[in-house]
Amino acid sequence: MSIHERASDGRQLLLYGVLVALIGFYLLPIEIGLMTSLKMNPLSTAPFLPPGLDGFTLEKWRQAFSQLANGLFNSLVLAIPATILSALLGSTAAYGLTTLNWRGQMPILVLFIAGIFIPYQAVLIPLSKFWAVYLPLDELLQTVWGLPMLEPYHGDLLALIISHVAYGIPITTLLFRTYYRNFSVEMIEAARLDGATPIRIYWRIILPLSVPMFAVTLIYQFTQVWNDLLFALVVVGPGEGAPVTVPLSQLGASLSEIGFGVRMAGAFIAALPTIVVYIMFGEQFAKGVAT
Amino acid sequence: MTDGGSAVSTDEPTLLSNVSDEFLGSLLFWLPPFLLMGFFVYGAIGWNFVISLTETSGFGGVDYSQLDIEQYTRAFGDPTFINATTNTFVLLITFTAVCLAIGLLLAIMMDRKLRFDNGFRTIYLLPMSLSFVVTAQFWLWMYNYDNGLINIIISSLGFSKYQWISNPDLVLSAVIFALVWQFSGYAMVVYLAGLRAIPQEQYEAARTDGANTLRLYQRVIIPQLKGATISASVVLMVFALKAFDFLYSLTGSYIPPKGSDILATMMVRQAFRINNQAYAAAIGIMLFALALAIITPYLTYQHRRGEL
Amino acid sequence: MSTLKLDHVTKAFDDGSEDIIAVDDLSMTIDDGEFLVLVGPSGCGKSTTLRMLAGLETITAGEIHLGDRVINDVKPKDRDVAMVFQSYALYPHMTVRENMNFGLEESTTLSDEEIRPLVTETAEMLGIDELLDRTPDELSGGQQQRVALGRAIVRDPEVFLMDEPLSNLDAKLRSDMRTELQQLQGELGTTTVYVTHDQTEAMTMGDRIAILNDGVLQQVATPLEAYHRPANRFVAGFIGDPSMNFFEMTVQDDRLVTEQFTYPLTRKLRDAVDDVSQVTFGVRPESIELTQATAAIDHESVEFIAEVSDEHSFETIVDVVEPMGNENTIHLSFSGADDATFVATIDGERELTPGQTVVAHIPESEIHLFDGETGLAVHNRLRDESEATESTM
Repeated sequence: MSIHERASDGRQLLLYGVLVALIGFYLLPIEIGLMTSLKMNPLSTAPFLPPGLDGFTLEKWRQAFSQLANGLFNSLVLAIPATILSALLGSTAAYGLTTLNWRGQMPILVLFIAGIFIPYQAVLIPLSKFWAVYLPLDELLQTVWGLPMLEPYHGDLLALIISHVAYGIPITTLLFRTYYRNFSVEMIEAARLDGATPIRIYWRIILPLSVPMFAVTLIYQFTQVWNDLLFALVVVGPGEGAPVTVPLSQLGASLSEIGFGVRMAGAFIAALPTIVVYIMFGEQFAKGVAT
Repeated sequence: MTDGGSAVSTDEPTLLSNVSDEFLGSLLFWLPPFLLMGFFVYGAIGWNFVISLTETSGFGGVDYSQLDIEQYTRAFGDPTFINATTNTFVLLITFTAVCLAIGLLLAIMMDRKLRFDNGFRTIYLLPMSLSFVVTAQFWLWMYNYDNGLINIIISSLGFSKYQWISNPDLVLSAVIFALVWQFSGYAMVVYLAGLRAIPQEQYEAARTDGANTLRLYQRVIIPQLKGATISASVVLMVFALKAFDFLYSLTGSYIPPKGSDILATMMVRQAFRINNQAYAAAIGIMLFALALAIITPYLTYQHRRGEL
Repeated sequence: MSTLKLDHVTKAFDDGSEDIIAVDDLSMTIDDGEFLVLVGPSGCGKSTTLRMLAGLETITAGEIHLGDRVINDVKPKDRDVAMVFQSYALYPHMTVRENMNFGLEESTTLSDEEIRPLVTETAEMLGIDELLDRTPDELSGGQQQRVALGRAIVRDPEVFLMDEPLSNLDAKLRSDMRTELQQLQGELGTTTVYVTHDQTEAMTMGDRIAILNDGVLQQVATPLEAYHRPANRFVAGFIGDPSMNFFEMTVQDDRLVTEQFTYPLTRKLRDAVDDVSQVTFGVRPESIELTQATAAIDHESVEFIAEVSDEHSFETIVDVVEPMGNENTIHLSFSGADDATFVATIDGERELTPGQTVVAHIPESEIHLFDGETGLAVHNRLRDESEATESTM
């Protein structure tokens, strides 16, 4: 808290008034979406009002879910391993470049961090060529896809997982580096004198102490991967293997008002995991973006 | 036993072997992620650059025999490219500036001993956790001509309705407004962290010196938020460069609403719809150059402040 | 044998364009079982020296021997040294027992069953056996300090290295721990190198102290030796609180002269400064005898006249009186010269007031003389007749 003095009661009230009005601003588009998704006819009442008693329906949610279910499943298969892997690799990279000190690590570190800011358009063509022409996993691993529960399109998903891990490493490395910089140097030296090798130090000291940062990184990275559309379009494309953002962007592509009910329901279904994560771990998410 | 003289001669190998010990020990940890990341980021950019020098159109093989900068000269004569570039800059600058201004105001309001300040923050930041694809759906409905909330408000005030998405003169502003809605909470969080790092004593000292609230912020507080402003602008600009997802989702196709084409959408369209791969690669490289122009000063600044 | 020997050890840090010499050609031997205190102002190279002993810094030139092996290239974990850090550097996510286990688990092949009694025994010795299941954040500073010590002791290393281990404790606890640490080291008989900037710790704890300045070793000696027979002006000024008073003086005939006063030398002392023209004149505050110079007509005024007539007594004015309880620290200046002030300590019961004129007697037997250019001692105070000859080296 930076200001001790409290404003006078009148000004305090005005302040709360403005802040509450802003809640309206930030929540209204979401609230309207929710209300619209629950109406038989989106036009029956003003957009922000709840449906009338006889106009309430979950039919739009059911329709949207049936269209997105496959995408939702693909997104889970994609986001969970991609998130865990990129967080782990970010943690080891940050450890090797921060806690272990050696000359000349700065240029390497700059390459890592600059990777955060690369516009993906600069890598899209090579990325799609690489997976489509040079390493088509769906063809190369045909024996694997013959196994029960697996389909060739899982090859595309695997390619997408690897891509997300690769492009997620820069930000996860930065997040962990910021955290590891505040670790006591003396503590690491004590562990070295106690006879621990770099691997043992990572395993027994760094990793257990990283739990709070893993929470931040996993949440942030999960949101990023789940929300992505561009890589999903280019690496997987529409079809059986597509993550949920792809079918959602096509849902009810006609602009008719009736279609909006399904659209809104779809938007909520696709956003649900990130909203749940956000509500449960808002604090960690705020920490992640503030770094 | 060695004498004092030979002790000096062991200096060099000692230094080297110890340095490389640390180095070798660290390799295991950073090299695998570095190779993976380096291959997909820097390897891909390099490859993309080479493709941009060819004449490749669609999928399949690339003919690397003749390399020239024709795709780049072509871009500067292409009205679509000029238009997309203009839109990109308008989006980049307006979006960033408005987000920063709103974020700063919000942060100053929040930086008082408020109850529920975490609650407010959670709500203001909520849109940022949503996918562009999701928010695009919400705003399509908000901007709907007949029944969208924006037009309902406008007509209830006695004005005539607007075609927010299909009018090429309005669509870019509408998009910027939606993006500001999504990301101004982020600017607020960054500024709030900056404000809370300023020691209480400075407010009290300025008060004692007789500064009023406006002067206090103008002369004491805001100058100290330079670091926060720089970090937030860089991140916001990067988000703006990624606005492809939002624009794609407005139409569900590679062709965004007329008037809102930016370099990011144009590149993807040229690459995967029109099959002008070499041209698209050149646009990608130019976007990369633009990003580089933004982040190089930023990283230098951070490095000088020892914050890398 | 855990004798530590530093042989022309130098450490240079590469600071981009130029090398910064942190430790310059340092040689000394620390005997088996000895408690050696490395002391000096901040930035003098004492911590760097300790870190070279630990293997946390590379050695630019020279050799470090532990027993009969050269340990320059031996990794920290293979040196068999244990270090106690200023911040204690405990592992925050481990209990006290786990903290103490860690070193044994990582550096030995002992089984858990063998480690357990060792840790318990050490904890009992330090009185922290009640705390074994707590984590560091549940401990007070003093308790954390004991755990840090215990973590070092349980490994039974050849050498203890301690980097200002007491400086984060409050004053009372610090003086208790000084005594306890000293006793503990005596019982264990482990060679110990202890770094501090606090000269009280240096004086009270060490078998010997090594004083460093600007990376250069100034003197290695027992505390009393360093106090009474400092090798040079730096040591004289650094050891002792309040510090020794210094005056830059010129040798003229058989007197030392400065603007404020003139100090005649007897034959023997005059010989000691034969080769130098500029000397630094030093005298410890407690060696200055102050006599009240009251103008009142009583028996003291007679004494007053007698004192001033002594050629080693000077009329001075009291500037500031700092009562310390057991003694008073008096800041004085020579009459008519405000710029040359010096300090004397007197019994706490004697009262002096600022502005008062007093006579300061500086006995010739108590003075130190240093070469004005090199700072090396040319004469140290006489403690007894037998020392008189050596002290002028």
